Amino acid sequence: MTTPQNVDTNKLKNLPHSYARTGWVLLTIGIVLTVLSFAFNPKHASFGLIMTLTYVGGVGIGGLFWVGVEYVSSAVWSTAMRRPFEFLASVIPYLILLALPLLFKMRTVFEWTHLNYFKDDPAMIVKAPYLNVPFFVVRTVVVLAVWALFYFLIVKNSRRQDETRDQSLTTRNIKLSAGFMPVFAVTLTIFSIDWLMSLTPSWFSTIFAVYVFAGSVLAAMAFATIIIVLLNEKGQFPVKLSRDHYYNLGAFLFAFIVFWAYIGFSQFILQWYGNLREETMYYIPRMHGSWAVVSVALALVEFVIPFFMLVTKPAKMDPKRLVFVSVWLLFAHALDIYWMVMPVYSSGGTVFGITELAFLVLSIGIILTVFSTTARRNNMVPVGDPKLQRGLEFHL
Amino acid sequence: MSEMKKTSQAVRRLYGVTALFDRPERLLHAVGEVVKQGIKSYDAYTPYPVHGLDTKMKLKRSMIGAVTLVVGLTGASLLLLFTWWTNSIDYPLVIGGKPLFSWPSYVPLMFEMTVLFGAVSTVTALLVIWLNLPRNSHPLHDTDFMKKVSNDRFGICIEATDPQFDERSVKALLEKLGGASVEAVYYEERELTLRETILDPKFIGAIVVVAVLTSGAAYFGFNKMNLIRPWNSLTVQDKVLPETQSAFYADGFAMRPPVKGTVARGQMPYRYASDIPGAEKYMKNPILPTKHVMELGQRDFNTYCSPCHGYFADGQSRLQGQFPVPPSLHIDSLVTAPDGLYYEVITNGYQGVMPSYERQIPRDERWAIIWYIRALQKAQSPEVANVK
Amino acid sequence: MSEVSYGEVIDYTKAPPLVQGNPSLATIDDSIARPMEKLPNKKFFMALSITLTMLLIGAVALAYTFYYGIGMWGNNIPVGWAFDITNFVFWIGIGHAGTLISAVLFLFRQRWRTAIARFAEAMTIFAVMCAGLFPLIHLGRPWYAAFIFPVPTQHGVWINWNSPLVWDVFAVSTYFTVSLMFWYIGLIPDLATMRDRTTNKFKKMIYSVLSLGWRFSNKHWQHYEKVYVILAGLATPLVLSVHSIVSFDFAVSILPGWHTTIFPPYFVAGAIFSGFGMVMTVLILVRKIFNLEYIITMDHLDKMAKVTLLVSMMVSYAYLMEPFIAWYSGDPVDWYLVLMRATGHYAVGFWVMVACNVFIPQLFWFRKVRRNVVVLFIISLLINVGMWLERYIIIVTSLYRDFLPSSWHIYVPTITDFGILIGSFGLFFTLVLLFSRALPVIAMSEVKGVTEGAHPSHQIGAEHE
Repeated sequence: MTTPQNVDTNKLKNLPHSYARTGWVLLTIGIVLTVLSFAFNPKHASFGLIMTLTYVGGVGIGGLFWVGVEYVSSAVWSTAMRRPFEFLASVIPYLILLALPLLFKMRTVFEWTHLNYFKDDPAMIVKAPYLNVPFFVVRTVVVLAVWALFYFLIVKNSRRQDETRDQSLTTRNIKLSAGFMPVFAVTLTIFSIDWLMSLTPSWFSTIFAVYVFAGSVLAAMAFATIIIVLLNEKGQFPVKLSRDHYYNLGAFLFAFIVFWAYIGFSQFILQWYGNLREETMYYIPRMHGSWAVVSVALALVEFVIPFFMLVTKPAKMDPKRLVFVSVWLLFAHALDIYWMVMPVYSSGGTVFGITELAFLVLSIGIILTVFSTTARRNNMVPVGDPKLQRGLEFHL
Repeated sequence: MSEMKKTSQAVRRLYGVTALFDRPERLLHAVGEVVKQGIKSYDAYTPYPVHGLDTKMKLKRSMIGAVTLVVGLTGASLLLLFTWWTNSIDYPLVIGGKPLFSWPSYVPLMFEMTVLFGAVSTVTALLVIWLNLPRNSHPLHDTDFMKKVSNDRFGICIEATDPQFDERSVKALLEKLGGASVEAVYYEERELTLRETILDPKFIGAIVVVAVLTSGAAYFGFNKMNLIRPWNSLTVQDKVLPETQSAFYADGFAMRPPVKGTVARGQMPYRYASDIPGAEKYMKNPILPTKHVMELGQRDFNTYCSPCHGYFADGQSRLQGQFPVPPSLHIDSLVTAPDGLYYEVITNGYQGVMPSYERQIPRDERWAIIWYIRALQKAQSPEVANVK
Repeated sequence: MSEVSYGEVIDYTKAPPLVQGNPSLATIDDSIARPMEKLPNKKFFMALSITLTMLLIGAVALAYTFYYGIGMWGNNIPVGWAFDITNFVFWIGIGHAGTLISAVLFLFRQRWRTAIARFAEAMTIFAVMCAGLFPLIHLGRPWYAAFIFPVPTQHGVWINWNSPLVWDVFAVSTYFTVSLMFWYIGLIPDLATMRDRTTNKFKKMIYSVLSLGWRFSNKHWQHYEKVYVILAGLATPLVLSVHSIVSFDFAVSILPGWHTTIFPPYFVAGAIFSGFGMVMTVLILVRKIFNLEYIITMDHLDKMAKVTLLVSMMVSYAYLMEPFIAWYSGDPVDWYLVLMRATGHYAVGFWVMVACNVFIPQLFWFRKVRRNVVVLFIISLLINVGMWLERYIIIVTSLYRDFLPSSWHIYVPTITDFGILIGSFGLFFTLVLLFSRALPVIAMSEVKGVTEGAHPSHQIGAEHE
């Protein structure tokens, strides 16, 4: 087999320099801001770093999830667009760098690391076998290692196919991805329980990991959509994608906006209705004072507004609209994480300072830098994928 | 038109010219050519929706989605308004400690109403407005053409209403494009102008029959069936009712006297019934005149006593002579009378003129009334010692 | 990953054919319409007599219930919900696969759905009918159901909008309405085809009325397709919402085992799981009986098995999360309930449920299992059993250990309970049998649209507007 005729080989490893440059600039500013924030208020800054870890980790593992879904479902339309998702997932091996400083700062953020915590609340003593520092560290390392392992295995097969054109690699990746799905569910659950749910150690919710999943996967899709649509519109993408491809990207964004809202509302209504102290303790700080404004804003920003922006068919096909909504959703997801994490640090009212700025800049910076450096070293389109030609011919 | 209808001979009119193709590509090609000729009144007929035909026919995007969106959101808004009005305005009712307007509870309902309104309106709009269905009198019905396109052929029909229409040239065009069985379709004018009359005896007969059946069923349901088990709403149950017979007991009464020596809950035996001297001598007000007791007494007095005795116990009856007017309670003999007398009179009535209030007023409330009467009496004949 | 044998080598450059043997469009019509055009054989009447007998058993059990009241059941205090609500949730769940196949897979452009969509949609409608009966039956005096509608009582009190049971009524009736419309809209072209095929004057009249005079006009198809997409778009979140609301019936209470936030998506996954189980059961029979193997191919069953495996994993995830969070919450009552489910009076049911829903579907990892009709059939039956038990376990085990040990009470179903359950199966399968004779069981127009060469090939990068 040869390279499909529609692929412009000159553009395969030719992501414009502006992406990497923007990435590096943001990354540098982000690191400076983060260092500054640690100098001013280490506790606040540690919470900020948790937000960054959640954001970057969510987008990375979300990217790998989409790659896996493509393989498992044998989806055809997205074949040409798989690489941007793989490049997003390439932040996974670097996550440990974000987690490491936090592992040394656990006492400042996690209430349960204090000895008194279990003493003061005897009902919580049962959690001690799970919520303790050594086990936490082991879990984090294992989760990040498992993600990295699957990332390397899946991506290695995908890249090797560019040269060998071996169809059995697709079969192998389908099996790998099928195996990855349950592992992904369990690891993401552990990740979200450890890093987010245990910030409020007496609070619990069985759906919480699904909520984190919905937001992360949505953000990954939004990030990839921005890059794919921008490149394709400027003719910098190695293949020509049609409006029908855009439509599917838009439809998935739309579906996950609704899914996120559904999961978020399900969690809220059950705890609001049950009205039990140990459950409402999560929502009470978020529904009072200035946090109430954030809560309402979150529902509007991540559900209502993008819902109406994407509801019609032409809207899902319009490149400008898609890029706008995707950028919007990236900030919406940041707001979501802010809403999950920061009320723990400051339950009295919202805070916005250098830490939050550092979170935004650093998160986007890391993702963009790693994305663009990986993209310049690898083919932007899986030229060896047997489904590529069919994927390009996709129509609604 | 009306003249044509009168003629017994059916007037046949040309509807259009049809042609069949065996492959969708050919149809697509033919449609393209027809559009190029500038023909406006035509339509393609396919057993399943063929991709690309809409573009070839230059059809405008279907705007039916607007109906869904607008009506769907209307449904949600109406539901929200309705829940707010019913539970917050019309009959405010706190349920489960939730606010009167507990919006999270209404979100699932709003969603359901969006879908219901949206779906029903879309389907109705599609069938009635967009497609103008149901319609079983179209000229193409029952033609061979229709039988083919409903199975495996792809057809086109150029209609006679088109300004460019000319039967011969259109037939030639379709044959040139490779159409098989190019045929003209005719229809009878009568078919299209057929109207049902509302005064059809059959129709009226059907209405009458339905009316009779409905009334009969309603009569049977409401007057007969709802007295039969299980539709009688559990009014007949396997239990003994008061003042009925029972074969179980030797005396045949279903009701049983209480066991000797027992009293009902909350009941206190009263041993001075009709024994005024005894009551006067031994009964003492057992409760203290707290503020609560005084208010209770005032309430009960105003409810039970004041119609005859007046609000100030001065005998100013409001019953305007329909009932014997009692004496004022401020006369000396009554002011000095012991509490026991009052209690006995309230409990058992007085000389057949004042009825017994034993059933209406619980024991403690009777004493509260007595405290209130005492207060009224003191207010009527103030003494220096009583004014603080 | 080790080099295991992958069976046959798959060529990913070509799309697998959705209809086997590339039949002509006329053949498709003929084979789908055949059951409607000839008199049913003896087997059909035997099957019908069995299902009607089951229906009769149900009718007798219901008559008992309505005459003597629901004291005929095993329900007690505290187990006030038992078979009735179990059956309700079970049937609603069965109903979800239909809409999933017809709407969700439609939106995902999984064109293999065309072969099974019609049947699954019909099963949805029949299952929702069965489900809708149970809350009515549970009233004991079903004619009082009128009180659930938002009409004020004579005291001016409105219905309780905060009650999930009210949400249920809205959700289930909306679901039934929308499913029925979706099904009917899909049927219109096929009814028109039947109208043009039939020679019987009486049949023709019925088909003409039902097909509303459909003319296969492309100007109609355009709007028709748009409406189909819209209905699919509405039905997809509707499916999620309906079973979420059913789960709210349990989850908004603060009962251990019921009050947990994962219930909405967990119930939805469970519903799809049980629905796929039932659709597989019925389809395997139908394709065999009506010789439709070339339309409902092995690939279809394979894909359904994969979807079943996926939702089985989702259900398993909920099975994992529930005990974990019950432990993590530190609430001794929650934890007690987890232990009670696994070891208490209903432990056998619990472990059968886990086996049927978690372990047995894992066999679908193997291609050989997915492509063995007999094994598939057996597993699909087991899934039905497992999912029925799941609702039973959720309902009964949470109730029978009340907060006060003095109120603890074991629930034992009575013969009337079983009679009603059998009756609901009788109703369902009677309707399925009648449907398979009266209407096209496979969407003719849709299957024609996915045959090879059905659509003129597209230009690459063709713009749509």
